[in-house]
Amino acid sequence: MATRNIIQIKDLTKIYDLGSIQVPALNGLNFDIEEGSYTAIMGPSGSGKSTLLNILGCLDRPTGGAYILGDDDVAHMSDKELSGVRGARIGFIFQSYNLIQQLDVVENIHVPLFYQGKDISEYYGHCVKLAEKVGLADRLDHRPMQLSGGQQQRVAVARSLVNEPLMLLADEPTGNLDSTTEQEILDILDELHAEGRTLVVVTHDDAVAERAERVIHLKDGVVDQDIRKDSPLSQRQTANRLTS
Amino acid sequence: MPGFSLLRIIQVGFKSLRLHKLRSALTMLGMIIGVWAVITLVAIGEGASRDAQEQIKALGAQNVIIRSIKPISDKVQLQGEMQWEAIYGLKNSDAVRIQETIPGVKRVLPILRHRKNVMHGRRTKDCQLIGTFPHYPDFTKAKLVAGSFLNEIEESRKENTCVLTMSLAGFLFPGKNPLGQEVIVRGRESQQVFKVKGIIQERTDAEKLPQSADPSGHTILSNVYIPLSTFKALYGIKDVDLSVGSIAVNIVELSEIRVEFGSVEEVIPALPLIREALDKPRRSDGAAEGVDTDYEIQVPINELNALRAQKARDTRMLLYIACISLLVGGIGIMNIMLATVTERTREIGVRRALGATRSDITVQFLVETLMLSLIGGGIGVAGGWGFAAFRHHVLNTTTIVTDWSVIVAFGLSVMVGLFFGLYPARRAAFLDPIEALRHA
Repeated sequence: MATRNIIQIKDLTKIYDLGSIQVPALNGLNFDIEEGSYTAIMGPSGSGKSTLLNILGCLDRPTGGAYILGDDDVAHMSDKELSGVRGARIGFIFQSYNLIQQLDVVENIHVPLFYQGKDISEYYGHCVKLAEKVGLADRLDHRPMQLSGGQQQRVAVARSLVNEPLMLLADEPTGNLDSTTEQEILDILDELHAEGRTLVVVTHDDAVAERAERVIHLKDGVVDQDIRKDSPLSQRQTANRLTS
Repeated sequence: MPGFSLLRIIQVGFKSLRLHKLRSALTMLGMIIGVWAVITLVAIGEGASRDAQEQIKALGAQNVIIRSIKPISDKVQLQGEMQWEAIYGLKNSDAVRIQETIPGVKRVLPILRHRKNVMHGRRTKDCQLIGTFPHYPDFTKAKLVAGSFLNEIEESRKENTCVLTMSLAGFLFPGKNPLGQEVIVRGRESQQVFKVKGIIQERTDAEKLPQSADPSGHTILSNVYIPLSTFKALYGIKDVDLSVGSIAVNIVELSEIRVEFGSVEEVIPALPLIREALDKPRRSDGAAEGVDTDYEIQVPINELNALRAQKARDTRMLLYIACISLLVGGIGIMNIMLATVTERTREIGVRRALGATRSDITVQFLVETLMLSLIGGGIGVAGGWGFAAFRHHVLNTTTIVTDWSVIVAFGLSVMVGLFFGLYPARRAAFLDPIEALRHA
């Protein structure tokens, strides 16, 4: 099956201008990410991991090079255009869940659609379905404060799916969770991958990276290693299907 | 912003404000008090001014009122032990001269007042006996309650008929119809019987109070009106005052002359002419001009204009106060909104990451600020209005809520909300989303 490249990164550089000195964070990155793939980005602190995450998430713009997301080069878009790209093409999952406290579960899931001018009354059913998908059918009107960490992260996962993004971008999605909950969240991510969604996970946790089919190691702002596993997922997926 | 739903943003704003109920309420308090104060103060001022204007209007804008006043040192003659006699004041000839020589004069109304005692059966009351012409009610806009006022025939025949004020009639004839009944008016020199032929109600307090300098300072709410010719025939023009323990006799031909002009415009130009007409005979009597006059001129139109000017000044002052209080309220709102932006930095970062543009964030915070000031302003309007209504209807003090005060107060609160909301909102919108997401 010919796969399309969701992301193409070419000679990507990022230099932080601190006035007196210029600090290079990314020194010419090159990689592609295919549709439906599950990629982990790893690296020690200072490797440029966070910078890459911000650029991939369209929260920051690179100094040089090209970042093609879908069909568009988003590297040099305006702030307003980038807002639109974030809202329509990227599903964020954060380490600390980042739900909005004053909104309930369904409303939190709806937030990305809100900024695309889609009213909750029309998409209520859609949001509820996603909540059910992550196992929160009985918590629809709960506020984040009333949920456990694992449940909050489930809401965040549902929220990341609501706009049917090109890619799910997760930043240490299990960093704040205990090991049992971590497994639950990683299982959900596996399921999403099995559905054919594209996942990019930035992590330093080997247990998380283990689930991915590809691990990109960064070091000093360049790709140090790019390891593709022989579809470990498909085996586990088969196993899952057999047991369920 | 395609398909931007303002209603939804308002709902979101409500949720944010509800999250900190106490804080939102306290933030609104400045606005509430400001708007409340503006509306209430303006309403009280308007009410007081309306009352005063009504009183002056009742005297008639096209009227001039000339009153006899006792000069400080003129023509007071010692008549014996503890007895004085003073001759001063307006004369019948003054009234005639004004009627005949001043251009624009339509009618002249002479009034003579003495303090007497009126009785019916066992009931007795201090009263003000007023001798005047039949067209008296036209001048004071007094309302005829029952019967009729004095007429020309009674005037020419010097008949003993009288008209009572309503409160006096109620006192003398409790539960009875006073028309056709008789009252006795007792003075020092004589005691006379009058037949009641009408009851009137004076329009304002001004008519109930003694107009001329009353040595005892009593307020007389009870008036008995009789024909002027009857008054002079029965009581003469000597008014004897015993109240200070000595006998003071005031000889005043007319207590008051009211002059009605054809139109309001003719009043002011005629004033110097009236003065001249009054001063001329007095100068020939040897009185020094302007030093010790025995009359005063009240010009309602002048008072009305002065009152209106005063009211404009008061209104401006109130507006300044209003602006200051709303400014203070606005600064309070801005202060809280800046704190809110800092507190919700993370939320702003999340919203930006999930696709909110800068203008989305600006609108969100602006809407929240506007809601604070609008709700605060709304409560202020309701409170001010309610208080004014309470004061007007329950406390029976004239209080008039003016449209412009509501519009100005509410409008200012909206503008304050916009103005002071813009800075915090822009600050929120221009936060770096990456920094904002990292914010604890």
